[in-house]
Amino acid sequence: MPGLASHDLEALRRKIAALEKRPLLAEGAALVARRMGKAAPAGPGMADPLELLAAPRGVLHEVFADEQRQSGAALGFTLGLARQLLTDERQAILYLQLKGETQELGLPYGAGLHQFGVDAAQIIIGRVENMTELLWAMEEAIACRAVAGVIADLARHPKALDFTVSRRLSLRAAAAGTSAFLLRYGREREASAAKLRWRISPALSGAVEFDPRAPGPPRFLIEIEKGRLGDKTQGAEGRSMLVDWTENGFASVEPERHVGAPPQRAAPPSRPVAPALGDRLSQAS
Amino acid sequence: MRLAAVDAAAARANLSPGQNLSDARALVPELELREIDRAYIGQVFSDFADWHSNASPIVAVHPDVAPYGDLILDITGVTHLFGGEAKMLALLVGRLRALGFAISGAIADTVGAAWALSHFAPNSIVPEGGIEAALAPLPVVGLRLDDAVVAGLNQMGLKTIGQLYGRDRRALQARFGAGLITRLDQALGRIEERITPRIPIAEYYAERRFAEPIGFMDDVLMTARDLAVQLGLTLEAEALGAQTFHLFLYRVDHKVMNLTVNAGRATRDPNHIAQLFVHRSERLEGEYDAGFGIDMIRLAASSVAEVESTQLGAFEVRDGAQDLDRLYDRMTSRLGPLALVRNKFVNSHVPERAVKLEPVIARTVDDPGALPDPDLRRPLRLLPQPEPINVLAEVPDGPPMRMVWRRIAYRILKASGPERIEAEWWRSGRNLEVLLPPQAREERGDPRDDSPKRKQAPAEPEHVSKLEAFDPLTTVRDYYIIEDDGGRRFWIFRIGLYGAAETPRWFLHGFFS
Repeated sequence: MPGLASHDLEALRRKIAALEKRPLLAEGAALVARRMGKAAPAGPGMADPLELLAAPRGVLHEVFADEQRQSGAALGFTLGLARQLLTDERQAILYLQLKGETQELGLPYGAGLHQFGVDAAQIIIGRVENMTELLWAMEEAIACRAVAGVIADLARHPKALDFTVSRRLSLRAAAAGTSAFLLRYGREREASAAKLRWRISPALSGAVEFDPRAPGPPRFLIEIEKGRLGDKTQGAEGRSMLVDWTENGFASVEPERHVGAPPQRAAPPSRPVAPALGDRLSQAS
Repeated sequence: MRLAAVDAAAARANLSPGQNLSDARALVPELELREIDRAYIGQVFSDFADWHSNASPIVAVHPDVAPYGDLILDITGVTHLFGGEAKMLALLVGRLRALGFAISGAIADTVGAAWALSHFAPNSIVPEGGIEAALAPLPVVGLRLDDAVVAGLNQMGLKTIGQLYGRDRRALQARFGAGLITRLDQALGRIEERITPRIPIAEYYAERRFAEPIGFMDDVLMTARDLAVQLGLTLEAEALGAQTFHLFLYRVDHKVMNLTVNAGRATRDPNHIAQLFVHRSERLEGEYDAGFGIDMIRLAASSVAEVESTQLGAFEVRDGAQDLDRLYDRMTSRLGPLALVRNKFVNSHVPERAVKLEPVIARTVDDPGALPDPDLRRPLRLLPQPEPINVLAEVPDGPPMRMVWRRIAYRILKASGPERIEAEWWRSGRNLEVLLPPQAREERGDPRDDSPKRKQAPAEPEHVSKLEAFDPLTTVRDYYIIEDDGGRRFWIFRIGLYGAAETPRWFLHGFFS
């Protein structure tokens, strides 16, 4: 609607929100802000790929790994995103899994979580019987003011998770400011209303100082398959990058240094509770 | 074998409870017999007892004195609700009779007297202080005695309870044992007899009776909300809150349904309580059966604790803890008490024991000494059950080269390890004992002999191997972190050593990111 002034549009949105007795959706608000020209459109040459990894609030993500045996990488990447959402008021990340899939995927292990800067006490594990309960629990947790993020780990492609459901989750997430992550496996893609879709594969790790034979810090190949977050992600779709998880959060790795060369920081984070870890990243963005 | 109970037709044929089975068969050859089903009777009587908690808070099933069971109600202070003792007895007996049960009842000051009266003088109500007179004409069986004692008493001509009153107690005790005196004293109220109520007594509750029975779950939940408001006011008046709430649904046909919800922290917020019951009811899935209707609902609170009145302080920290607790309550009431768990560290070095899953609503204090060593690399995901894998590794202690897991082969490029994790010998249930070397044991008999022989090194390897062979829990694991050619990182371990009698076995235990 080129003829319609942007403030009219905003007024209309507010009116509709008032009629529906609901707060203006954050998504809509963002749209309004953009239409009003607050943010200048960015060109295809993006500033920093890492900027995308500063997780925004109130967004539904889909994190895809090609195979179930890559579940470790998918969870690690997701935690790396979700941990940035933890604040003093939002102190919990809810991890949901179907009861029958525990042996298939494994459960998040408390003693290993600190590597990703998450205190084991902040992860609440929910094991539910079926998809109905899982979706209910997701919505309930998204609506809670004290939850930073909700992670649903799904080994299969359940029928219950269709476009309508993902649209619903996306809207809820936008309204409540809680981010939700759907961890999926396989190469099939369904229609979904998720704002961001990542494809994660583990990559050969860099070398460890003094021990060339040992696996280094986690390294992922991240591909942004879909990014619908406005200017920030414009032109980001289809891009891929190689990142390490280090003491300072995600660090991008130069492709030519990928094989054989020592990484920038070799040691994994050394303290179990490191809430300040990685904040430099979010501050920078 | 004896007859436990007879029906009307059998009674007309001169059969009576307690009769020998062969005698009865001789009298009535076509006698139809059924073995007593104690489990069933026990079940029915617990249902009865629960149902009768709508008449009195203290209801107990009397442990098997009679084969078909007795129900005891403590009606102290409740009779006025029914319009007096006589009316109450008539109501309670009448409504069971209406359901088709043969029943008799009585009211007395003591459990023993009430039992005797209900069995041998039904429908009698003994006024205070009238026990001795009321019991006097009843047979001695009414004292809840063993058959042998009853037979003995009858042999001595002591047929009624009244005949025992004036007797020398010591003589009676010497002849029949202390049981008789105890029972007599219990019946007469000289010593106390306690009954244990089946449903714990709730101090705080709210209830509602319906003129017309209700059946729909929605109605029940609405009533629960109303009751929660009432109960909330009661609790607020005393600055209390509760963690557990029970909703008792009394059905018209002697059954009670019980819904229980737990809150993470003590609460009295009616909306929250009602919400928990709504979620709990969604988990019922067909267990809910109103039968012919529900005529009373009671909401009771237990695990009561002090809760301060809510006032927002100027320096209050908004950390969302309360929101989280409420979320956990809601989710737990819908998904089940064990659905929501958190990682809790346990002071142990065995990986699967070092972290335990603890329900969030029943959290315990963390053990500060149990935090894991941050220098140890631990996987991000752990399999609940380690999965056996086939591994090709360098002998004896080299890193693995190839692995087959879930029928897929992996080529391993990098590996670090082994990290040896021993089993916890202190959990094997065996006390630690000092095993002396054989020579030392021989020499023990001669302590004066401090010869150089004793200083010789004992045969160490023998002991060590012996200890291992004894202990089934001694399984040493060697853990490796491996990375395959696709960049996937796994945590695998080996039980056993190459070159030992048994070939080592390999397992996959977790995933690194």
